[in-house]
Amino acid sequence: MNISKIALLAVLGLGLAACDEFGDKKDKTVDRFVDAKDLSQLKAGIWIDPNGCDHWIIDDGIEGYLSARLDPYGKPVCSGAGAPNTAIGPFNKGTSIPDPI
Amino acid sequence: MLNLANAARVALGAAIVAAASVLAAGQASAQAAYVPGIWVDPDGCEHWVMDDGWEGYMSPHTNRQGIPVCRRGNTCAVMNSDQLFATDSYRIHAQGQQMLAQFFRSAGATSYIIAGHTDSRASDEYNMRLSINRANSVARVAQGVGARIADVRGYGERIPKASNGTHAGMAVNRRVEIICIR
Repeated sequence: MNISKIALLAVLGLGLAACDEFGDKKDKTVDRFVDAKDLSQLKAGIWIDPNGCDHWIIDDGIEGYLSARLDPYGKPVCSGAGAPNTAIGPFNKGTSIPDPI
Repeated sequence: MLNLANAARVALGAAIVAAASVLAAGQASAQAAYVPGIWVDPDGCEHWVMDDGWEGYMSPHTNRQGIPVCRRGNTCAVMNSDQLFATDSYRIHAQGQQMLAQFFRSAGATSYIIAGHTDSRASDEYNMRLSINRANSVARVAQGVGARIADVRGYGERIPKASNGTHAGMAVNRRVEIICIR
């Protein structure tokens, strides 16, 4: 990563902070700014933990989300869909914001 | 390039100051309102989700017993035990083997969770053993046709679907559930 990218990232970050934190973001259920949308629109992939069990993973540009995949009995789902410590599926496809990191 | 580098330094400095003031603000208000939204995962189950501006947070929506709250299920088959096993047996008869093999060949899931259940006759301990044995029998058929088994469980009589007070209810409770992981 070169200096100009760092500058862009810092400025972008400041812009977001000005929008959200300083404006006291009251509604936690929407994503604001460039890729504004309801959070129910997020597209998930699967991250496979070191035990081989699945987690929904969403990389929404700036925000990242991770939540356990559970079966109807509340137990972890360990589908074997991928190797441990890997991620599969469209986990960074839900936003037009490129991930700089 | 020198100007840009300077600009970067100034911007970074400003970002750090901004971050510090955010931290201070967080400490000042002890009880902030955090009302979550709901995200529905590809299995149809709900998760609490919050976007705090910078950070995103997510956690499964379960009831107080730890059971996920789902809008649809991924249980793709419920096999009535009477159609597969004789009373007290965990050996699947030939016709049942064929029916199960056909099911696993066509279901097309990534993997399967097999959960055995019984009615409430006989002891809890006996039923726990019988239900896991029956679930294992079903899993063996699945593996025989190349299906991947994620887990095999026996819940005994502990998760009834219907009343054990009637014969019809008990028949419903004697079952092997197949959960399709896609």
